Amino acid sequence: MKTITFKVNGAPVTVDVREDWNLLKVLNEKLELTGAKEGCGAGECGACTVIVDGVAVASCLYPACEAEGREVETAEGLVLANGGELTELQKAFVACGAVQCGFCTPGMIMSAKALLDHNPAPTAQEVKVALAGNICRCTGYHQIVEAVLAAAEEMRK
Amino acid sequence: MAAELAYLRPTTLSEAVSFLETVAGAQPVAGATDVYVGIRSGKHAPAALVSLKAIPALGHLTPDSPTDAYEGKAEGGTADLGVLIGGVVTHGAVEDSEWMRRHFPAVHQACSGVGSRQVRNVATLGGNICNAAPCADSAVGLLLYDATLILAGPAGERELPLSDFFVGPGETRLQPAEILKEIRVPAPGPRTFAHYWKHTRRKGVELPLLGVGARLTLAADGTVEVARISLGVCAPMPTRSREAEQVLEGKKLTAELVKEAGEVAAAHALVRDTWRGRGWYRREMVRVLVPRVIGLSGALS
Ligand SMILES: Cc1cc2nc3c(=O)[nH]c(=O)nc-3n(C[C@H](O)[C@H](O)[C@H](O)COP(=O)(O)OP(=O)(O)OC[C@H]3O[C@@H](n4cnc5c(N)ncnc54)[C@H](O)[C@@H]3O)c2cc1C
Ligand code: FES
Ligand code: FES
Repeated sequence: MKTITFKVNGAPVTVDVREDWNLLKVLNEKLELTGAKEGCGAGECGACTVIVDGVAVASCLYPACEAEGREVETAEGLVLANGGELTELQKAFVACGAVQCGFCTPGMIMSAKALLDHNPAPTAQEVKVALAGNICRCTGYHQIVEAVLAAAEEMRK
Repeated sequence: MAAELAYLRPTTLSEAVSFLETVAGAQPVAGATDVYVGIRSGKHAPAALVSLKAIPALGHLTPDSPTDAYEGKAEGGTADLGVLIGGVVTHGAVEDSEWMRRHFPAVHQACSGVGSRQVRNVATLGGNICNAAPCADSAVGLLLYDATLILAGPAGERELPLSDFFVGPGETRLQPAEILKEIRVPAPGPRTFAHYWKHTRRKGVELPLLGVGARLTLAADGTVEVARISLGVCAPMPTRSREAEQVLEGKKLTAELVKEAGEVAAAHALVRDTWRGRGWYRREMVRVLVPRVIGLSGALS
């Protein structure tokens, strides 16, 4: 066991973790943040995507101990940081029909947020590259790309 | 995962080396994208992981001399400076580097095609090389530029050409407790053209069926001074096709010569059948892709 301290959605947390755990397990089981989900557990599906120090990572492959001292953002943090309201990105997902069963959605949103944080005016191709590691078995992706582009436009206004 | 694994985070290289020397069953880890997948599938069961990510001396991505003279200097297909890539530099850092895109396009292309953005943000070039998969994209890209590796271990540091580093699938010349500290890429010189092609079924998040790289450095009169053809999944490790390189060196590039290079590379490729693709198909595609990749490098125009 090891005690690690890091920030989650702006707030410092200190937790005891098994040293073979991944960050996903810490979020899901220790912090009860269940937005990030385990799909494959092997880096392939993106359902576990969170942002660490500003970049999107697969939390299933991210060693828990490696989070020490870092800033982690999860889908839950978006509304918290936005005064209890859905963000433009989340609203666009709803408006464009980019959510069906919703299993992939928190990961999609975090990948899209990481992209828009770095690149406020992405092309459709850049959106596709940024979301290539997020698998969705429901929507067919079209609405998701549309939602990210629509959110980017709204956020630039 | 049965017995609990220890996760160590040294902050200096010497501390990391001494952990690897003294902790039984310890293995280095960087982005963990191979290590964690291996542990999960039961392929590996290290007793301890020594993370290299908190060692500041491994994180640099810099031109090989402390100058910014390269700014605006290298137009088109030339490069005057090499690059030093620290042992834990990620594929994402290379993907985001405008300087790498301009000066080492084939390395940039190879790194930008690894996995997904989430994988590239943590997966390192050092891990790609040390994992020594026959398909390792960035290793195949780096072979084009005669990269060398600085290895640091209990006995000090040594330098080894990347092309001598691989022994077989997953096997390298790393000694026990040795760490890949830095990848050195020498300046390829003016009139250098390069391209890396990852042959896949899907456009993203796929290991290559075949990786083909070409780098040509031309003399002022257009003669090929240096030719490098590198191949992934055409041998038990990332390789160069020295036979194809010999076809090209010392000659003027023509469509026929480039076609011959493809035929020679295909004839010597040690391809085999895997579930991802059949050997005969790989050989045929080496013949097709070597000329195509040379064309895409811009060296023919
Ligand atoms: C979803 C997914 C997609 C992928 N797609 C691709 C792809 O398209 N192309 C591709 O080539 N690979 C791909 N990979 C494999 C992997 O991401 C790469 O090989 C990556 O570069 C490994 O880097 P890492 O930092 O994560 O290595 P780690 O997993 O941390 O380490 C890999 C190996 O290298 C050793 N090691 C790491 N760093 C050092 C060092 N500095 N010194 C000594 N030993 C060291 C470790 O002990 C281990 O044996 C993919 C993996 C996943 C999970
Ligand atoms: S659960 Fe992490 S990528 Fe699938
Ligand atoms: S909405 Fe169901 S997986 Fe994407």
